[in-house]
Amino acid sequence: MPFTITDRCIGCSVCKKICPADAIQGEKGKLHKIDPNACYECSACGRICPQSAVKNAQGKFIERIRIRRNWPKPSIDTAKCMSCNICIDACPRACLTLQYTMDTTDKKGFPVLARSRNCIGCEFCAAACPVEAIVMTVNPV
Amino acid sequence: MIKNKKMKNAYMGKILWVDLESGRLQEEEIDETIYRESLAGTGMAARILLDRIPPQTDPLGPDNIICFVSGLLTGTGSLFTGRWMVAAKSPLTGTWGDANCGGNFSPAIKRCGYDGIFFKGVSPQPVYFCINDGKAELRDARDVWGKDTKETEAFLKKESGCRMPRIASIGQAGENISLIAGIANDGGRMAARSGLGAVMGSKKLKAVVLDGTHRIRVHDQAEIRRLSQKCNENIQFMPPFPPAFVLAYMGAILRALPAQPSTETLMFNTVYKRMLQKWGTASLNQILIELGDSPIKNWKGSNEDFGPEHSENLNPNVFSDCVIVKYHCYACPLGCGGICHRPGLPGETHKPEYETVLALGGLCLNDDADSIFRMNETLNRAGMDSISAGGTIAFAIECFEKGILTLIDTDGLELTWGNSKAIEALVDRMIHRQGIGDLLADGVRAASLKIGKGSAEYAIHAGGQELAMHDGRYDPGFALHNCVEATPGRHTIGSQMYYELFQLWEKVPDLPEPGLIYMKRSKYVPDREKAVAAATCSKYMNVINGSGACLYGALMGTKDFPLFEWLNAATGWQMSPHDYLEIGADIQSMKQQFNIKQGIKPRDIKVTDRALGRPPLTAGANQGRSVPVDKMVKDYWEVLGWDPESGTPLSIGKMDWEL
Repeated sequence: MPFTITDRCIGCSVCKKICPADAIQGEKGKLHKIDPNACYECSACGRICPQSAVKNAQGKFIERIRIRRNWPKPSIDTAKCMSCNICIDACPRACLTLQYTMDTTDKKGFPVLARSRNCIGCEFCAAACPVEAIVMTVNPV
Repeated sequence: MIKNKKMKNAYMGKILWVDLESGRLQEEEIDETIYRESLAGTGMAARILLDRIPPQTDPLGPDNIICFVSGLLTGTGSLFTGRWMVAAKSPLTGTWGDANCGGNFSPAIKRCGYDGIFFKGVSPQPVYFCINDGKAELRDARDVWGKDTKETEAFLKKESGCRMPRIASIGQAGENISLIAGIANDGGRMAARSGLGAVMGSKKLKAVVLDGTHRIRVHDQAEIRRLSQKCNENIQFMPPFPPAFVLAYMGAILRALPAQPSTETLMFNTVYKRMLQKWGTASLNQILIELGDSPIKNWKGSNEDFGPEHSENLNPNVFSDCVIVKYHCYACPLGCGGICHRPGLPGETHKPEYETVLALGGLCLNDDADSIFRMNETLNRAGMDSISAGGTIAFAIECFEKGILTLIDTDGLELTWGNSKAIEALVDRMIHRQGIGDLLADGVRAASLKIGKGSAEYAIHAGGQELAMHDGRYDPGFALHNCVEATPGRHTIGSQMYYELFQLWEKVPDLPEPGLIYMKRSKYVPDREKAVAAATCSKYMNVINGSGACLYGALMGTKDFPLFEWLNAATGWQMSPHDYLEIGADIQSMKQQFNIKQGIKPRDIKVTDRALGRPPLTAGANQGRSVPVDKMVKDYWEVLGWDPESGTPLSIGKMDWEL
């Protein structure tokens, strides 16, 4: 079942603006629509919607999180992380990058949230991590 | 805009065709039956290219098709499954050509919504292909033509406008249509073999730039995660390991034994994993020389010509000590690669692999590590295969030694064994096709045909492709696969040691299980069991390459590398390991049929006599050994159900295919 915008929508277009897949159409002041073929279900539209008008794939309304900095962000447990790059690839906003030092005695590189302002809290990185090394939190380490 | 239709489990269900001549793009839906019968990756590529490339196609002409394909398991959460593959008719061998590579390009193909991107025709001017935000287009590449692969990546990262582009590109070698050119991604990881960089160059296709956000769906995410966590637990188990210098002695001791313990007896699956973890493939630098697996001095020398006093300069620590960060390909928990910073070398460079170190080192009697670091970077940047480059240089040195090439021919280069300055200069000339470099830029077979004067004897190749750094006189399985694979001269398909490491008998009980210890001379006696083992390696590696998996994962053994279970969990299919190996057999038949369609007679694919021990070496680890390859080839074809005289497949599984 695709994500849908219900008639709670007031056509403010903030969802359209944030959608990273460019999947939302609609004129200002009118009911907006999600293209199910383009949507990759990141939930950003629901989190930003002032009317909590968006239903997810399970048919539940996505809860609005009023302040953007309170959206969940990935926190990486380097003890569990195997540096496999899967999370970096999974991020649709290219927020994560591999960080390492020039020190030849410390050879491990780990993903870091380099562009936290781009993060939309989609949790794709956490969902993709095979070893559960990423948890979503409001105040990432 | 490319439409983003609902995707299937593990695969995306479509490919993209790009006509470089007209600029036309066309999507093609791929039915699930194709994936069930051929998987994705090179399996799907073999099926499509066999059908679409006309007979007697000029590999550098418009009718050749070059495709970039991702594996069935790539992006599913399985581990060791980030390889991308490129396939076309090879200009180097005239046969089926494929090459595969790690890095981060493979998931990008699927993230753009495709299992493969296929290019046909020849562009009238240099172009690069870009998919950004679902928009696919050919763009002018005149500004980037002439740049090396690293410069190209840096330039296109800015110019393409993509958020996080993944880029595969050719350097000057591909642009100059050197038949030993490869395709690079991620700052120097190379899909190097088969000369496919020359196919890109001939099509004036400088690069493929991908940035997409499609999700890759799977049937049973929880099961994939369970399997991956179990696999990772084994990877992260790091027992203490002896220092690097011990490896050379281990090789010498094993060489001295008349009997060979199987890899299971030596717990080599675990040992090898640990070696890769600690040093990468450079861990093999000394041990394989001592064992006799590394060809020395253009295959006429032995471990005695390049003993520990020389190889010590190339010991694993020399390379791993320069690593500033371990390099992991996509979905790899092991990280055998490394980004190095070598004092005296500008910037960062990928750690030289074993193949590169031996091809530019022992094969040319060069023990100058600095020169190998520099040449590794130069070749990666130029997009030239370091195995073929090393093999060609060793050939040139022997021609010089024999007086076939003179100082006049070499423009004053003293091409003597171990002369690292001359070797480095020759690499540059080959890349830019200057002077003697132009003669050598197409590999040993083309060079020996031009030079004549009996030089063919010193041109070591299989069907035109320079042999990798694994000696069939040590492991006859390498010699066999050099002869029988649809792309001759490949070292990543099978050998007697690979079969032991794969441990496929654990999953398919009908397969032969080697003894815990056996006499070394028995390796050189052809029998049905060895033919079954070799055919199984070919089949299994087709499944691996159809899945986008890495050979090093497979070498951990099927107990620790649950490929078949991952495939079932990702796709929802309920196929047995035996079923998957049958798919592998069909892919092997399709590749062989591709060659036959192109007018290649499998019997005509030959390995240079010297590499088969004809005549045998008179000293060193492989002294007195020769490989009865003719009988082995016949047995192999028979086991695959092909005509044992001609090597022609008689049918391709259940497929409705007219042979």
